[in-house]
Amino acid sequence: MRQPLLRLSQITKSFGAVRALKGVSFELHPGEVHALLGENGAGKSTLIKVITGAHQPDGGTLEIGGTTVSNLTPTRARKLGIACIYQQPALFPDLSVSENIGLRLEGGAFFAKVHWKQRRKNADALLARIGAALDPETPVRSLSMPEQQLVEIACALGSGAKTVIMDEPTASLTQVEQELLFGVVRDLRASGAGVVYISHRLEEIFALADRVTVLRDGQSISTRAVRSELGAMELTEEELISLMVGREVASIYPHRGGSPGETVLELENVCCAAGGIANISLAVRAGEILGLAGLVGAGRTELARVLFGITPADSGTIRLLGRNVQVRSPQQAVSLGIGYVPEDRRRHGVILPMPIAENMSMAVHPKLFPGKWLRFEAERALGLRFIEELGIKAYGPEAPGGSLSGGNQQKVSLARWLATEPRLLILDDPTQGVDVGAKSEIHRIIRDLAAKGLAVLMISSDLPEVLGMSDRIAVMRGGRLVETFEGSTATAQRVMSAALRPS
Amino acid sequence: MASLSPSLKKNVLRHESLLLLVLLLEFAFLCLYARNFGTPDNLSNVVRHSAEIGLLALAMMPVILTGGIDLSVGSLMGLCAVLFGVLTHDYHLATLPAAAVTLAAGLFAGGFNAFLITALRLPPLIVTLGTYSLFRGLAEAITQGTKTYRAFDPAFLSLGETRWFGVPLQAWILTAAAASFYLLVHRSTFGRSFRAIGFSPEGARYAGLSVQSRTALPYLLTGLVAALAALLFTARLRQARADAGTGYELCAITAVVLGGTSIFGGVGTLPGTLAGIAAIAVLTNGIGRVPAVFKAGIGGELASLLTGALLLVALAGPELARVLSTRSAKISPSPKTL
Repeated sequence: MRQPLLRLSQITKSFGAVRALKGVSFELHPGEVHALLGENGAGKSTLIKVITGAHQPDGGTLEIGGTTVSNLTPTRARKLGIACIYQQPALFPDLSVSENIGLRLEGGAFFAKVHWKQRRKNADALLARIGAALDPETPVRSLSMPEQQLVEIACALGSGAKTVIMDEPTASLTQVEQELLFGVVRDLRASGAGVVYISHRLEEIFALADRVTVLRDGQSISTRAVRSELGAMELTEEELISLMVGREVASIYPHRGGSPGETVLELENVCCAAGGIANISLAVRAGEILGLAGLVGAGRTELARVLFGITPADSGTIRLLGRNVQVRSPQQAVSLGIGYVPEDRRRHGVILPMPIAENMSMAVHPKLFPGKWLRFEAERALGLRFIEELGIKAYGPEAPGGSLSGGNQQKVSLARWLATEPRLLILDDPTQGVDVGAKSEIHRIIRDLAAKGLAVLMISSDLPEVLGMSDRIAVMRGGRLVETFEGSTATAQRVMSAALRPS
Repeated sequence: MASLSPSLKKNVLRHESLLLLVLLLEFAFLCLYARNFGTPDNLSNVVRHSAEIGLLALAMMPVILTGGIDLSVGSLMGLCAVLFGVLTHDYHLATLPAAAVTLAAGLFAGGFNAFLITALRLPPLIVTLGTYSLFRGLAEAITQGTKTYRAFDPAFLSLGETRWFGVPLQAWILTAAAASFYLLVHRSTFGRSFRAIGFSPEGARYAGLSVQSRTALPYLLTGLVAALAALLFTARLRQARADAGTGYELCAITAVVLGGTSIFGGVGTLPGTLAGIAAIAVLTNGIGRVPAVFKAGIGGELASLLTGALLLVALAGPELARVLSTRSAKISPSPKTL
C-alpha cells in the first residue's frame, strides 16, 4: 500500500458550544477520487478548513504525506501540496486571468521583476491543459462563475498540488462545463494526485469517485468503496442516503395534517428583475406546508425576499386572504401577517449579541410596547414562554443569541415570527446547519403550526426534508416556477429532475 | 442596564466601573493638589464650561450606538451661533423667536445629514465630514470670517450666569438632557432599535424594524442639540462668532467612546457617557490649577495629552487583558460582537 497523501484521525473541532466535528477520520490515497458526502451542517466545510489550515483542530491528528502536522496554516498547507477549489472562487476581480494565476503561483520577492510574457505563456498552458477556452488577459470580473472556477482549477494544477479539494464544484456549472471538469478530475487521478470531491449530487459521486466517506453530525460514519476491484457497483443510492440521514427517511417526519383551509397567499405572474425571478404563480392555503424545492440559485430565497418586501416585486399580483396587497417593506409584511425566518440565521435571523428575549420581541415592538416604552417584564415573559414552548436550550431569556447552538438560534428566529401571530410563515432552509435532534424538533414545530391553521411556505435544499414535510411541492429553476407536485405523488427522482432539467 | 446581555454587561460594566474609579481618583487628586479646585464656585465652573460639549456628547451617544458618527456638530454650533447673531442683529428679531428659528435650523441641518445617510445610503463618516466643512464654511461666509455679534439682549446674556437654587442653569439643562437621553436609549423602543441597528443593520431590517427612520432620529437630535449648545455658548461668551464650537465634535466623540460606547455600534450606556464627559471636564479644568511640579514642564497642553492617554488606555486596557488571557488560557475568542 502506498503512503496516503492525507490521513486524519479522530479530528474534533468546536466553535463555542457548537461541536462541528466530533471525531472524523479520513484517508486520501494518491490516484484516488475520494468523495465526501453529508447533509448540510454535517461538518464538511469545517473539515475542509482543517485540511487547508484555515481552522486548527481541537483534537486528533492530521498527517500529510506521512508526517504529522500541527499548527497548519493556509500558507503551509499550500506548500505541502494542498489546493482547494471553493464554491465561491476567491479571485481578484479586477485583475486578469493570467495575473490571478501569477499571483497564486509565482513566489514574490522585493523588487522582483514581473515576466509578463512568461506569466501569460504559463497561464495559456494551464488553461489549455484543462481545456478551458479563456483569454488569459480577460479581467476576472467579466467571467462567469464556472469560468472563474476553471481559473481556480488551473491555479491548483499549476501549483503541482498533490491533494486537490473540490467543494461542490458543479453547483453552478452547465452540462458541458461539468463534462470538462470531470475530465480534469480524471486527469488528476491519472497523474497520481488525490482528489477530495464534495458534492450533493449522488450521480456525480457514482460517476467519479473511487471511495466515499459519509459524514453525519460531525462524525465520519463510514468509508465505502464505490466499485469493487472488478468494477462492479458496490454501493446503492439508497444505502448512501440512509448512511447520510442515519434513519429510514420516511419514519423521521411527522405525519401530515388534515385537509387545508382557505387560500392565504396567492401569487399571479409575480416578477422581480432585481431578484431574477419571473412569472411566479402559486397559492398556499391555511394549514398547508408548501415546499419550495430547487437548486441553490434557482430563485427561491429571492421569491421569499419579494414576499417579505426586501426586494419588492416589479409586477404581478400578490393576494393575501383574497385581498390584493403591495409589500414594499418588511414592516409592511409584518403588519400584513407575513413572517420570514431567513436563510442566513447568523446575519439575518438572530442578532447574535442581543439577548434572545430581545430578539424574540423585535418584530412585535408595537404590540408589546404600545407606548414605545419598553416593558421588561412583558418581554421576559415572552422569552420564557417561547423557551418553554419551543424547548429552547438557553440559560434564560437574557442569554445572548450567540451563546446558543445553531438549532436553538433557529428556534429563536422562529419564535420571533410566532410572536407576531402571522397568517403566512415563510421558512428559508429552516434546518440548515442544525443538528439532527433539533432538526426533528423544528420539523414537529412546523407541522404543529400548520395543523393550527398557519400557511407555511418552506424553502429547503434538503430533499428528504421537502419530501417528508410538504403537502405540496413547487419546484423552481432559473427564477421560474417549473412544476408543482402533490406531496403524495412527489418522489426524489421527480423533484430532482424538475429542478435540474435544462430548459 | 436591563437591555444588555450578560456577557456584554460584564464587559461594559467593567469598563464603566473602571472609568468611575479613574474619575474618583482624578477628583481626589485634584481636590488635594489643585488650587481652589474643590470649591463650589469652581465646580460650578466645571459644569458651566463643559455644558456644550456635554450636550453634544449626550446627543452623539445614540448616533454612535447605531454604528454611525456625526462630525458636523461642532461646525453646526458655529453656524447656529452666527445665524442667531444675524437674526437678532440684522433682522432685529426678539431673542425668543430668534432662538426658536435657530433650533429649527439645527433640526433642519440634522435632517439634511439624516437624509443623505438614510435615503441615499451614504456612509455617515463621509456625509458628516462633508457637512462639517459645509456648515463651518457657511458660517464663515455669512460673517466674512471676521464679524462678531455682541449686542445681545441682556436677559439672554444673563442666562450664562443664571443659577437656580445655587446651581448654574447649565447643570439643570445638562441633567434634563441626560435624563431624556437616558429614557430614549435605555427605556424606549427607539433605543432598542438603535442598538439592534448598531449590531446589525441587516438583521434589524429582517426583523421588520424601520431601520431608515430609526437611523435618522439620532442625527435629527444631534442637529437640535448643536443649536441648543450654540445658544448656551453664545450666552456664556457674550458673543457669536463663526468659530464657535471648533473641535467640539471630537471632544464629544472622545467622551462617548471613553464612556464605553463601542465605535462599531450596539454596545454602550448613557451613564457611561456621563462619566466620560465628567472625566474630561474635570481633567480640563483641574489640570490648569495643578502646581507646576506635577506638570513636568508641560503647560496647558497637558489636559489634551492626558485625555488622549486616558482614552487609549481605557480602550486598549480591556482588549489587552482579553488578548493576554486568550493567549495563556487558549479560550476561543468571545463571539464577535463589534
